[in-house]
Amino acid sequence: MATSVLLACGLNEQKLPGFIHISEESNVDGSFLISCVLGQRLRISNAGTLLVCLQHHYQHYFNAGMRLGYNTNIFQGKTLGVIDVLSDMAGEGLASKWLTNTEGQTLTEQLVDDIRAQVESNYANRNSYTVLIDNLSILFNLGASKLQVQQFCQDLAALAKEREKLTVITKLSNSDIYQLTDNNVAKLGQVRIQVLRLKSGVFREVDGKLLIERVLDEGNYACEETRKEVLYKVNDRNVKVFAPGEIGVKV
Amino acid sequence: MLSNLVVTKQKVVLIIDELNRERIAPKFIGSLLHEQGQGADTIKALPTGVSLKHVATFEALIDKYANNNTGSTTDSNFTGFNVILPTLADLLCYQTPAFIFGFLNRLRRSENVRRVFLWASPQHLQDPHADYILAGCEYLAELVLRLETDKLLSLISRKPGGGVTNRRYSCEVSKTQFKVTPLDGGRPAGASSKQPSPEAEQTPEPASSTFKIELDEDEVLARNALTLPYERTSEPPEGNIIYTPDADDDFDEEDPDEDLCI
Repeated sequence: MATSVLLACGLNEQKLPGFIHISEESNVDGSFLISCVLGQRLRISNAGTLLVCLQHHYQHYFNAGMRLGYNTNIFQGKTLGVIDVLSDMAGEGLASKWLTNTEGQTLTEQLVDDIRAQVESNYANRNSYTVLIDNLSILFNLGASKLQVQQFCQDLAALAKEREKLTVITKLSNSDIYQLTDNNVAKLGQVRIQVLRLKSGVFREVDGKLLIERVLDEGNYACEETRKEVLYKVNDRNVKVFAPGEIGVKV
Repeated sequence: MLSNLVVTKQKVVLIIDELNRERIAPKFIGSLLHEQGQGADTIKALPTGVSLKHVATFEALIDKYANNNTGSTTDSNFTGFNVILPTLADLLCYQTPAFIFGFLNRLRRSENVRRVFLWASPQHLQDPHADYILAGCEYLAELVLRLETDKLLSLISRKPGGGVTNRRYSCEVSKTQFKVTPLDGGRPAGASSKQPSPEAEQTPEPASSTFKIELDEDEVLARNALTLPYERTSEPPEGNIIYTPDADDDFDEEDPDEDLCI
């Protein structure tokens, strides 16, 4: 169902690069990537996953997973850990730790501590561990500044460097509005996936474009990089990818 | 090579990167220093990442290298440390601009610091006054290298005497080499100046002056085409006297020897 889009993005391997960033342009929805990666990681034997729910609550990912052919409830508490910020805020209201300045810590500092605690308790037992952050721009809505979000991502990148089998995948929506933050987060990783809208308008057969940039080798004066562009269409139960030019207007 | 132009006597070197090469900034600068034979023990880098949050990280660098508490001054060959700072975007993520400028100034004033390198990518500067901060760094720097495009760069160099040069170069970049060629037709950077080519010996370059003495090709053609007034353009067929009488002259057209029967 989602294998083709992960294959196109180079995210179908068992061992992923240490830091991957997904930049989502305005007016386009790249949430399918998070669901696809989540499904793929859950299917790998003894691979740990931590899902940080900022844009949607956990139930949304469960529903999306059922459409794509996997059941997250089976894995929750075992190989799947969840930090559901939205549900916590809905349940506890203004008393939620995410909305109060607990022990002088900012929201992003608390989040880093929680992620670090989950990783430290689960990482040792797993062949690989993936942290999925969906979506960094919600942190701005929760009061974090751009510098705090940048520091948050630097902390995550440092965490990924400390642990060889750890992969951090972040997503930032409205990346064209938060261009500087997007650039600073993207430079921390080896893979950047940009979810772009079609420049010429809308099309029934295609929802948008994926631009995948991968750093193969860092030289002394220049990097060896690859760039790949594919079109995608999110259907009810799968995601299709097309090469540019493959889809034409039928007259 | 670019390293010939950048690793010079200028102390504070600012590299402004328009090409988004920030991820390899420390490697880039380290390679420039290695190419010029700077030993690894003289190259010191401030740790990047989360450690920049703590002022102690900066103070430790100042204490250890700027004040030279490593004892290296006892070595007769010691010429000073080359300090590679984190990128300006990373510094601004954790510290205020005032702190960064103050730190840069302390390094600049230290006698044990030979060179300071700072990398700045304008498309990464997360500050509302990014332009002002970049201008401030340019003010502090003695050498500003601007990587404009894949093929072009510019270099502004301030000499201790006050002279400023601003030159542009074309460049060829690979993963392991960075070659530059001046755009005004000068010799590529890194070419030996001790053995001039035979052509240069036969036609020595004129001494530089503020007066333009040489003629361009167009000017030579124009000079040759110019006809001066009263200049003969062709040789006359035989000797001839051309007399133009004035108004007061009594000029008689008739031949005075006409009545002689000779």
